[in-house]
Amino acid sequence: MTTTASTTGTTMRHTLSTPTDRTIRVERIFDATRDRVWRAYTEPALVAQWWGRGNKLVIEKMEVQRGGHWRFVEHTPDGETHGFEGRFREVTPQDRIARTFEWDGMPGYTILETAEFTDLGDGRTRVVGTSLFFTPEERDGMLHSGMEGGMAQSYAALDKLLAEGRDR
Amino acid sequence: MVQYSSDLDAVFAAVADGTRRGILERLGRREASISELAEQFDMTLTGMKKHVQLLEDAGLVRTQKVGRVRTCSLGTRRLTAEAAWIAKYHQMVEAQLDSLGDFLERTKGDQP
Repeated sequence: MTTTASTTGTTMRHTLSTPTDRTIRVERIFDATRDRVWRAYTEPALVAQWWGRGNKLVIEKMEVQRGGHWRFVEHTPDGETHGFEGRFREVTPQDRIARTFEWDGMPGYTILETAEFTDLGDGRTRVVGTSLFFTPEERDGMLHSGMEGGMAQSYAALDKLLAEGRDR
Repeated sequence: MVQYSSDLDAVFAAVADGTRRGILERLGRREASISELAEQFDMTLTGMKKHVQLLEDAGLVRTQKVGRVRTCSLGTRRLTAEAAWIAKYHQMVEAQLDSLGDFLERTKGDQP
């Protein structure tokens, strides 16, 4: 169990905890109305301005509706590209989004991401994000056989991603 | 089932260093002795031992001493990559929240 929290200015920094082995929960209060936060999460032109954490983000697809497909490609300064994609499982306007998340470098390792938005009534909004990790075996019921080569590739891709993220 | 949360900090610390990521990548191809690793990464034996110890503490690397040679290999490889991915994802989510906070601050007043 790890939990961190701190405060900067008027915006409360994230609180991060791991309530179960493979669940990550983040909570943060933004000094912005729920409508603005909702739009930042659901309008591609706005998502492109923050999701990539300063890296260029190309939103190839973003169908914000149940069953809709999304795919983002992040371009790092050294020319690497990383694709992320999944499907929306639930879209309840202003309230809740649930979607699957997969990184191209770890195919099959699906994360179920949920974001819940609460209007605090004073112009601020609480966002609670929950991420639940599934192994490919859990997702597909696959056997381990034949996974070694694929994992070595995943590892090499992971290493590149980690190398790029080290200064952040 | 593996205890991810208890390992996350150790995994994260282990993979936060470029040399250690290089060691993991190298061991992902083939096992190696500490002296081989030290030579490949142009380090002293003592320095390499410290890196390997950290990786071993995180469960990312396994070592076995046969005679006078300590051989290093990846820990439970499949789970290693998975745990490291969880740690990386964790870091990404944190950075995204910071980024969203900055975005909302700088666009304040842009919208009705």
